[in-house]
Amino acid sequence: MLGAALLIFVAGRIAPGDPVAIRLGDTYDERAARAIRKELGLDRPIWTQFVRYVAAAARLDFGESFIYPGRRIDRIVRQTLPLSLRLTALAVASAALVGLSLGVISSVRARSRLDRALQVLVVVALSVPNFVVAALLVLVFALWLRALPVAGIGPWQSYVLPVAVLAVAPTAYITRITRTSMLRVMAEDYIRTAHGKGLARPRIVFRHVLRNAALPIVTTIGLAFGYTLTGSFIVEIIFNIPGMARVGVEGILQRDYTVIQAVVLVYTSLFILANLAVDLSYAFFNPRIRY
Amino acid sequence: MRSSTLASATSAAAPAPPRAPSIWRFFRRDALATLAAVFLVLIVMIALTASILIPYAYDRQDLETTLRGPHWAHLLGTDNFGRDVLARVAFGARISLTVAAVAVAAEVIVGTLWGTLAGLSGGNVDAWMMRVVDLLIAFPNLLLAILITGIFGPSLVNIIVALVTTAWPGMSRVVRSEVVALREREFVEAARALGATTRRIVGRHLLPNVLHLVAARSTLDVSAIILVEAALSFVGVGVQPPQPSWGLMINEAFPYLRSQPYLLAIPAVFLSLTVISLNILGESLADALDPHRRRR
Repeated sequence: MLGAALLIFVAGRIAPGDPVAIRLGDTYDERAARAIRKELGLDRPIWTQFVRYVAAAARLDFGESFIYPGRRIDRIVRQTLPLSLRLTALAVASAALVGLSLGVISSVRARSRLDRALQVLVVVALSVPNFVVAALLVLVFALWLRALPVAGIGPWQSYVLPVAVLAVAPTAYITRITRTSMLRVMAEDYIRTAHGKGLARPRIVFRHVLRNAALPIVTTIGLAFGYTLTGSFIVEIIFNIPGMARVGVEGILQRDYTVIQAVVLVYTSLFILANLAVDLSYAFFNPRIRY
Repeated sequence: MRSSTLASATSAAAPAPPRAPSIWRFFRRDALATLAAVFLVLIVMIALTASILIPYAYDRQDLETTLRGPHWAHLLGTDNFGRDVLARVAFGARISLTVAAVAVAAEVIVGTLWGTLAGLSGGNVDAWMMRVVDLLIAFPNLLLAILITGIFGPSLVNIIVALVTTAWPGMSRVVRSEVVALREREFVEAARALGATTRRIVGRHLLPNVLHLVAARSTLDVSAIILVEAALSFVGVGVQPPQPSWGLMINEAFPYLRSQPYLLAIPAVFLSLTVISLNILGESLADALDPHRRRR
């Protein structure tokens, strides 16, 4: 994470385009520029800047926006991050639910027509970019049927479309992994034994197969969390949702370095934390792994 | 004795250096992959011949005929500036595919070199090289790409750099783990015992054996890269107007979603079908080239 912070920091500093010049605009003069540089700490050696930056970030203090002085970034984060997280969590939760069910059905009925259709759907869902899915859903549900709002965030109806768009890709992934890993377990000897003992089929599928197939599925769900977070960049722009990803894109377009650094740092940390959570959950699902 | 003869003798027990299975047999067995390949060839042809076949330039505006549906003068209609949609789709294909092709070529070279070098070196060098890879993989793809083009400016070169940066770490990880596994195999040891130089071992024994992984992975990466490029252009930090790109066209069509849905549908269909085809082809290739992976 420290490495990521360094990379973000360096990228921000070597980038062309001087934020001081942008902020002063037409009133640029050398003395004012120097005053602002001093105020922002930009006149210190680069290593001092970095150490101070990391120390502050650890306290969740990202300083002020370069472009709009006075706008505290920690406040921006606090206002926008919960919304983004809520959307992501809802999307991953529904993806896990639907994906697991479809995957189990698909594996139980392996090679049936239903299974084949699901397989094709999975490839399609993984290939169609989320902004195309968004356009399609908006067109059908918001413009034609007028059942759901086009954009914005407010009552629960406004969550449906963004969450659905975010959920498409992870649902497909989870379906695929569930199916593959269920089929692998079903080929094991102990499943044949269970059948031989005369256990009821649902019991075998859920107790024996699903339990032993859980590891890769959990991994995928955890990874899906990370990727869905990134997907929110597009979705928040399309649906005009005041979440953190949109703040990040706006920051990038305006070269608001402190905002960019904060957004990238927060998202990368969340991404890494999600992966860490996956690693730790292994111990829970597989008693043979101990930390 | 030529060491390659020995290598082929030992390879009966060792990983069969994936002999290219006859291309025709591959396509005859797999109808879906054939369809995908045909579609891709078609797209490439359209992209190549765009300037000959289509009588309009992609940026020629005709403000008298804006937002027209398909008709004889403009087969796919016109957009809000009266630009020919067919021309824009075709030139968009050219830009998207060129960017993707260059990016994948660069990614294959960088990723394979890095992975092979790390796998061969072992020890501390390997550990540090892989830490760099871990660092880059820790970033979400799209975020990294937006960051690069957003900060350094959305020129075509920067877009390609951004795409390569997101793709090569994955490739090098795949190559490295395979090289590490192969390094200890008997046929490599045999070659070394015969006095083959490191360069020869890498060139004749290691690289040919990782090539099937590289081929399958890079096909799938083309589709991933096209998707990221489209997303970049969609957000506004990719291909810049008036140049066309499928992602950009979709973005520009959004305001007309209610009145002219086909304006968005056309680039969306091209983009989606291309990515679907690449994914189908990539997975079929992975299945066909990897002796350990059987179609389920």
